[in-house]
Amino acid sequence: MFSALLKRELMVARRNWIGIVIPLFFFIMVVSLFPFGVSPEAPVLQKIAPGIIWVAALLSTLLSLEQFYRSDYQDGSLEQTLLIAGPTQVASAKILAHWLLTGLPLVIISPLLGILMQINHGFVESNHTWVLMLSLLLGTPTLCLIGAIGMSLALAANRNGMLVAILVLPLYVPILIFGTSTVTASLENFSYNGQLAILAALLMIALVVSPFAAGRALKISVS
Amino acid sequence: MTNKGLSASDLTISRAEHVLLEGAELELAPSTITYLYGENGAGKTSLMRCLSGLLQADSGKIHWNGQPITNLDSNYFQDLIFLAHALSMKAELTIFENLSFYARLRGVKDPKPLIDSATHDLGIGQLQGRRFAELSAGQQHKVALCRLVIEPAKIWILDEPFVNLDKGTRHWLAELIQQFAKQGGVVLFTSHHEIEELAIDQRIGIEH
Repeated sequence: MFSALLKRELMVARRNWIGIVIPLFFFIMVVSLFPFGVSPEAPVLQKIAPGIIWVAALLSTLLSLEQFYRSDYQDGSLEQTLLIAGPTQVASAKILAHWLLTGLPLVIISPLLGILMQINHGFVESNHTWVLMLSLLLGTPTLCLIGAIGMSLALAANRNGMLVAILVLPLYVPILIFGTSTVTASLENFSYNGQLAILAALLMIALVVSPFAAGRALKISVS
Repeated sequence: MTNKGLSASDLTISRAEHVLLEGAELELAPSTITYLYGENGAGKTSLMRCLSGLLQADSGKIHWNGQPITNLDSNYFQDLIFLAHALSMKAELTIFENLSFYARLRGVKDPKPLIDSATHDLGIGQLQGRRFAELSAGQQHKVALCRLVIEPAKIWILDEPFVNLDKGTRHWLAELIQQFAKQGGVVLFTSHHEIEELAIDQRIGIEH
């Protein structure tokens, strides 16, 4: 049942690929603007790079949330899948599909943005690039998991993405802090294991809580 | 377990602080076709959503085979098909992909023969590879009705299933409902007009 739900999400996204590409382009464009707007010099870019990349990743995730829930709600398939598969399973499949289609591409593309922001000099051989990727690998699923709760609640309130932003942005703050801090610590040659452990812990908590909470919110939204 | 059917007792449903139903009693036995009628806004859809577990009643109990329906994790929902006004199909997917998805959710391993048969009967067999968004409104409605053939269930709750259907499809649907009831199924449907092709066992009216 879960695989059928996931497969459908991926098929719909493949046909509606523009909705997947836009958040990725948004991520790239936002980060690309800073060397032009602030300074192209390596010391300046290195200092601001972790924060810029992480804020862009956060906003990109937020931007992509709406399309993953709104159309199912509008065409009635959300209530049908909730009836047949149950709320937790539906929420889990949507969250996983959302991360695979919008979170994972951010992780994959991040080394290129690392070059642009001059955080590394030897492309993927650089340790900083791996740390950036690892922090995003642990952080972006948590962003999707938390976003799913916000979006499901916003559906219930029949409101647009602005409400989602208000609901989830405060919850994104710890992930932003530890994600940025991980990369900054690496750039300054400090240990970053603690920050990564906290990001992993936040992911574990979100993994346990979010599918259930988002599922309940989805059920409320269709009633 | 013997099939006792679907029942509701002392059911009160309200919408936006307006009471639609108060203390309603309902018995839907196996092998019966129940026609639910009433004016627009009387609460027919709300009652159906409530019986489908999508809407929480203010008070009262709903039982399936003597067991209360308390949450969406119950087996009841695997036995139920609720066809609502919204057709519940993804515009980006083809007819086959949409129907195959619902069949697989119900655990049907090879839905192709069922989909072939249902779409052929409704004259949309040759359109299986076409995207749902590219179909006419009538064809889209037919696709939604195909779910009744491809998904195994014991209860059908159908919200105005005969709306916008041509004569041939009305006849096909009436026959399908009749056959389903004969095999022990429970059918509850709404319509603004009585369906002459259908032998109705029970009529329930809702008044404002």
